[in-house]
This record gives sequence, C-alpha cells and structure tokens, in this order.
Amino acid sequence: MAEAGTVLYYIVTLFAASIRMAVPLTLAGLGESFSERSGVLNIGLEGIMLSGAFFSFMAAYITQSIIVGVIFGCFGGLLISMIHAYMSFKCYVDQVIVGIALNFFSLGLTSFLFMAYFGRTTTVPQCPVVKPIRIPLLSDIPIVGDVLFNQDIFVYFMIFACFVSYIILYKTVWGTNIDAIGEHPKAADTVGLNVKKTRYITAIINGCLGGLGGAYLTLALLGFFMENITSGKGFIALVVVILGRRHPFGVLFAALLVGAAEALQYRLQTLGSGLPSQVFIMLPYVVTVIVLLFSIGKSSDPAALGISYKRSSR
Amino acid sequence: MKYTKELVSTLIIILITFLLAAVLIIVAKYDPGMALQSFFYGIFGSLHGFAEIMVRATPLILAGLGVSVAFSTGFFNIGAEGQLYMGAIAITFVGVFLPPMPPMLHIAVAILAGFLLGGIWAVIPGFLKAKYGVSEIITTIMFNYIAINIVGILVRTVLKNTESALPYSPVMPKSLSFPLLLYPTRLHGGLILALACAVLIYIIMKKTTIGYELRVVGFNKRAGTCSGISVYKNIVLASLISGGLAGLAGVSEIAGVHHRLLEGISPGYGYIAIIVALMGRNHPVGVIISAIGLSALQVGANSMQRQAGIPTSITSVLMGVIVLLALGKNIMFSGILKKMRIK
Repeated sequence: MAEAGTVLYYIVTLFAASIRMAVPLTLAGLGESFSERSGVLNIGLEGIMLSGAFFSFMAAYITQSIIVGVIFGCFGGLLISMIHAYMSFKCYVDQVIVGIALNFFSLGLTSFLFMAYFGRTTTVPQCPVVKPIRIPLLSDIPIVGDVLFNQDIFVYFMIFACFVSYIILYKTVWGTNIDAIGEHPKAADTVGLNVKKTRYITAIINGCLGGLGGAYLTLALLGFFMENITSGKGFIALVVVILGRRHPFGVLFAALLVGAAEALQYRLQTLGSGLPSQVFIMLPYVVTVIVLLFSIGKSSDPAALGISYKRSSR
Repeated sequence: MKYTKELVSTLIIILITFLLAAVLIIVAKYDPGMALQSFFYGIFGSLHGFAEIMVRATPLILAGLGVSVAFSTGFFNIGAEGQLYMGAIAITFVGVFLPPMPPMLHIAVAILAGFLLGGIWAVIPGFLKAKYGVSEIITTIMFNYIAINIVGILVRTVLKNTESALPYSPVMPKSLSFPLLLYPTRLHGGLILALACAVLIYIIMKKTTIGYELRVVGFNKRAGTCSGISVYKNIVLASLISGGLAGLAGVSEIAGVHHRLLEGISPGYGYIAIIVALMGRNHPVGVIISAIGLSALQVGANSMQRQAGIPTSITSVLMGVIVLLALGKNIMFSGILKKMRIK
C-alpha cells in the first residue's frame, strides 16, 4: 500500500513538473504563433527569452519585487523583438539572419551585463520566486487537484493566454486578418489591411510573451540567472510552434510533451543509474527532433512565412 | 562612386561598433583607456598575439567555409558547432582504436574520418530538409546540443583515459599531431589545411558544374528544377560538404591544439562560423578575411579581459551588431549618406 502511495506521489509530481516545464515553451510558442501567422519567422526567439530572463532577474533582484520582474521580463523580450521587426520590416533584411544575429547580440549583452554587475562571485545571486497558489475546492480533487490547481500564477496565466489567443486568432476579424497577411500580404494590402502595422503588433505580442517565457525561468523555475540560461529553449519553442501548427492548444499540447521529457530528464538524473548525466540532459533535444519528425507531411506554413513584404515590389 | 558609398558605410559601421563598445565598457565602470590599450596590444603587441589570431582563425575558416557552402545552396546550416565536435570525436576514435600508422597516412585517415562523421551529422538534417521539408534551422541546432552531450558521454565511457579521474580521452599518438609552424607559438599545420580547403572550395564553387548547380539551387530552386538540376541531390551534397568542413575544424582543433578529446574544445567556433560566412559573403576569400578579423576581435577581447577585467562576452554583442549594421546599412545610413552628398 505504501509502495502504491509513493508511485502515485511520484506520478503526480512528475505531471505537475511537466506542466511547469511547459510554461516557458507555451508562452514563447504562443507569441511566435502570432508572429508566424502574420508571416514573420523570428528565429531570435532564443534571444527574446534570454533577454526576458535576464531583465526580469535583474529587476526582481534589485527591487525584490516579482511584479517589477515580470514587467521587465516583457520589456527585455520586447527589446529584441522590436529590433527584429525594425530590421526585417524597415530594412528588408532576411528574417532568419536577423534572428541569428539577435541571438548573438542577446547572449552577449546578457552575459556581459551580468558579469559586469556581479563580477566573478562564488555565491549565486538569488531573486524572489513566485509561490504556488492553491485554488480552493478545486485543489482538493485527488491527483488532478495537485497537478492542475496547486500551481503558480504563470501556469494559470498560460492557460488563460491559450484561451485568449484562440479567441483572437479564430473568432475575431483581426485574427483572420493576421492569417490573410501571412498568406498573401500583397492581396491583404490591396484590400486595405495594414500589413506593417499588423506585423508590428504581432511582433509586440511575440516579444512580450517570449520575454515572459524567459522570465518564468528565473522568477519561478530557478530563482537565479546564469550565462545562456535558456540553453536552446527558444529553439525548442520554435519546434513546439511547428508541431502545434500555430494553434494555441496545439502549441500547449506540444509544449506539454517536450515539458514531460524535460521533467523526466531531471527525475532520471537524480535516480542514480550510473550512466553519465549527459545521457539524460540530451533527452529533451532528442525528443524534440523525434517530435519534429511527426510533423512531416503535415506542413501548414503560412505562404509568406519568412518573406519580407515590400510594397513597391512586384 | 559605388566604392565611396561602400567605404563610408564601412567606416560608419566601425565607428558605431567602437562607440557601442565604449558605451558598454563605460556603463559597466571599466577603464576605457586601459581597455583600448590592451585590446590593441593583444592583437599587434607580440608575435604570440599574431599566432594566436591565426590559431583561432583556423577552425573559423574551416567551419566558415562549410557554412558558406550550405548558405550558397539555401541550406541554413546552424549546426557547425555540433559537426565540429563530431569531427573531433572521429579523430579521437582513429587515435584510440586504430593500429599505429605512419604519420602522413594516420593524419589522412583522421581527416577523412572527421570529414565523414561531420558530414553525416549534417546530412541527416540535409536529407530531412530535402526530402520532407523539415526546417534545417531547428534540426541542426538540436544536433548541436546532442553532439555536445555525446562528447560528454564518450569522454566518460568509451573514450575515457583510464589513468585519470577527469573526463577526457588519452593523449593522441604523435603521428596524429599537426606540425608546429612557428615555434614557440601554438601556430600549427591546421592553418595550411584551412587555406588549402579555401582554394578547393573556391575552385569547386566557382569553376565547376557541381558548384554551379549548388549555387543555382540556392539562388532559385524553381529555376533549378526547370533546367533539370535536382534540388534534393544538391541540398544533400551541400550539407555533406558543409558538415565535412566543420568536421575538419574539429580534427584540426584536436590535432593542432588539444591533442586529446575533452568537453568544451570549441568556444562557440561553430556559431561564430555563421557570422564568418555572412560577413565573408559566402566567398572563400571573404571567409578567410572575416575569420581573421573576428579572430582578432576575440584575441583583443581576451587581452582586455586579462588586463582590464572586461568580460569577453562583449564580442558576441559586437558581432551581432556588426552583422545587423552590415545587412541593413543601405537603408539605415541612407539619410546620413544623402546629407554627405554621397550617392
């Protein structure tokens, strides 16, 4: 009986952890979905998340306030995403290359400022982290209650954001406009839609949500910052977007899948199997590649994805 | 007049880069004078500095050539880092498990193995892209993380040096070392390999039908298909050459610098190689020049770190900004150029 109890507990904590691991991927994935639906491929998502993680950490560390941290996380993501927007909408530079350059820029900037501020310390500077909020009654449901209704505010926000995104993208005229612009910007422009403005707005959404995704790493999962803390999460979020076919709930589901791999990875590492820890660390990346293979042949990319729109061009 | 415009744009980029560096250094409360002095001393101050630039430029040229071949064919290979590590694994396997051989043969076998393993690591994403349209940007990046972890696993298991508790392989036999070119500096024969590869790639890309077809696929897939050039075949071929060259960078790092496999042999050479290819405009000569330039930037930054305590990550900021400015210069600077009456 006691054995069954521990197994159950193990499964519950694993599920709860999977959901937490899925938060940064889902938030960043939602933002990127908006951006990609409007035809803008932002490979700089890794840089957006990293910048969000750094600025949220610094703000929370200095002010000891999580709310300020969250605001600065959005700001950090926005900074990178606005440069991307300017470079690709105004200067017509290849969106992929801008993204790559911005990843460099963000990695360098966050590491430099972090090192410059803290120097070479042996103690890891900590920032406050969000506490789980028990939802009365619902959290008393066995198993489900602990998995779903005893989480931090970001988890609830993630679910809320999925619903809102779904409504915006599928139930409003503006959502249809976004799709139209992503499929055929010229036609959309001809019927009077403002391509540039819409793309700037989706870029803002992308920056804020991506920045929040990064902020979740520092303000909830870890409570500290280190160089390249995202270690590829932004790229994994790009996969989540592809697998979820830019549908908010598809993104959520895909993120949960990869999140589960990540949660499992941490569990397996601590189990003490005698295998090098790298076997487990590489698990989420391997799962991501395998997951990507499942999307083969189901491609539904917006027709104008990654192509800069120049009004005067033919 | 076109050249004047190019020259002025380049000068503006250099000026902005320097200003940005100065702002970062001053904001972070480091000594800017000391920084400037140590930056240039690190680059021009000694023979050692010159050799160090070339040592770092070697893997950048090799991996940069690889990335440039892929980019010319429209294959966004972001995975040079992982392919480099695969090449390093290959030469280590040759050194540890194959019987002793005469030096020239041994190196040749290692180079071939490194090229193949690096190539295979890129061909998998290449195949997935060409056949199924799977985004190579994602797969090559994931393969980077996987390759780095494979190195971590190997140096703790199969390739572990049993005489030591630390995670690295045994030292490679003497026959698997590149000769030193400029004793007592670290400058090694890998540079010659890199330059030879640059010549070879120049000939292949610009003077042969193979290179022509690769470039056609990169320029316009549809035009290629219409004139009977197989997009599938050329993308797979480009990924093989690209990954192979990055693999050679790994071989060169082991044979010339580290002489054993260990974690972290590359301080991001594979990623910087992307910038090298972009700045070199996918031309072998451009790749060599930009590899040496970016390598000098790093050597200077290392010197700044030693002398003035400035974190080397400043180079990543500057590299990102340089790329953005270089790509957007025509539109960004159009106002300034107009005021200066340069057309």
